[in-house]
Amino acid sequence: MEWDFPVPPVVFDVSIPNYRQQHHPIPETGPLQPPAPVFPDDDERPLLEELDIDLGLVWRKTISILHPLRSADPALHAENADLSGPFLFVLAFGVFQLLAGKLHFGVALGWVTVASVFLYFVFSKFSAGRRGDVNLYRCLSLVGYGMLPMVIFSAVSLFLPRGGKLIFGVAMGFVLWSTRVCTRLLASGAADEHRGLIAYACCLVYMIFSLLVVF
Amino acid sequence: MAAMNSELGGYAGRPPNAQPNPFESAMYGAGPGLIRTGLGAYGEKFLGSSSEFMQSNITQYLSDPQYYFQVNSQYVRNKLKVILFPFFHRGHWTRITEPVGGRLSYKPPIQDINAPDLYIPLMAFGTYIVIAGYALGVLGKFTPEALTLQFSRGLVGWFLQVVLIKGLLYSLGSGEAPLLDIVAYAGYGFAGTSLAMLARIFWSYLYYFIMPWFCLCTGVFLVKTMKRVLLGGPRSYERHPSRNHYFLLFLAVVQFPMLFWLGNISA
Repeated sequence: MEWDFPVPPVVFDVSIPNYRQQHHPIPETGPLQPPAPVFPDDDERPLLEELDIDLGLVWRKTISILHPLRSADPALHAENADLSGPFLFVLAFGVFQLLAGKLHFGVALGWVTVASVFLYFVFSKFSAGRRGDVNLYRCLSLVGYGMLPMVIFSAVSLFLPRGGKLIFGVAMGFVLWSTRVCTRLLASGAADEHRGLIAYACCLVYMIFSLLVVF
Repeated sequence: MAAMNSELGGYAGRPPNAQPNPFESAMYGAGPGLIRTGLGAYGEKFLGSSSEFMQSNITQYLSDPQYYFQVNSQYVRNKLKVILFPFFHRGHWTRITEPVGGRLSYKPPIQDINAPDLYIPLMAFGTYIVIAGYALGVLGKFTPEALTLQFSRGLVGWFLQVVLIKGLLYSLGSGEAPLLDIVAYAGYGFAGTSLAMLARIFWSYLYYFIMPWFCLCTGVFLVKTMKRVLLGGPRSYERHPSRNHYFLLFLAVVQFPMLFWLGNISA
């Protein structure tokens, strides 16, 4: 059978660095043949690195938050804001809520976003004089990492009786922990007179998440 | 926006022999770097403290929002005492002015207890939402959708208060008070409402004592503040004294149904 139009063979430009072509050229097959399989080699960047998910960093930040008495390290969170930790935490929160019979994945994601916009707005108004280095991305990251005590609470609440006084008390304890973490991370640059004001805003945010867990 | 479009377009149609540089950058394609720069840039642009958007577009209609957030915790505590128990406020209600650049301008809230601020209304609104959520939960009717509905109701209530106060000021002649001032005054009512709802969670009958008290307090606070705002206006206050008094009385009385409607969450 004769083609009416010439089908040019697929050619990859070898002048582009880091290309697969350099080590394992893609075997050229004729037209109408299925492509031969090419196995990935070591030159490609690993998937997690391409997605900018640094699990080691997430783990270190998690450990720094987990210790309830020693303060979280603001510097660690300041330069390396990332969203993969918060995303994992919100997913874990959703999974624990699912175990309790409530489908709250979208709700939690949406509320984290709105809450961080709210906190960013309040914080930017306070620290306008000194050019703080909190931008919206970093605020979202901090609110997300502050969700870790909420995630633990949602796991713990699976074993507590519903609707009793005990779960309210435990909820308040975890909300205070979250507020402490978030304020310490957020207000590391702000003056002391505003710490209480920012702490109240963070407290409101995490109380809303405790509502999702308790009820 | 154009930058985002060109990056996404480059990802979709990949030419085999383009320049090497676009393939190398971490922001190539819709990756996490895009989110980081996008959020940082747009957050700063629209909501940030030194954003041009705020300074150029909004200042035509609103006064500088930065003024309303110059607060500290001492101011917040004292202002809450004034809002919730205005009868015990010993001292004058006028705002202190200072000459700045040839014009008289009001001192910021951090130096003047009578200046309006936007931090307390915002936090009071947030507290109202949280306590409404807890009240819904105690009644067994909590769903995220119900909470969002309550949020919208709160916004409508705040807007109605703003319209009410603005209408009052227009009809009495000094309608050029800054809009953010009026938004702040309207939002102060949420503080009393939140406290009354908190009391309702613990003992439902307490609500029917505390809520009228806070309605009265909010009414008195608004009346006293509006009197000062009217006095500061250009037209003379004494021209229609009885009309002024009736309007102010109306403002105080209408707080009752308004705040009761806001605090009622069984619907």
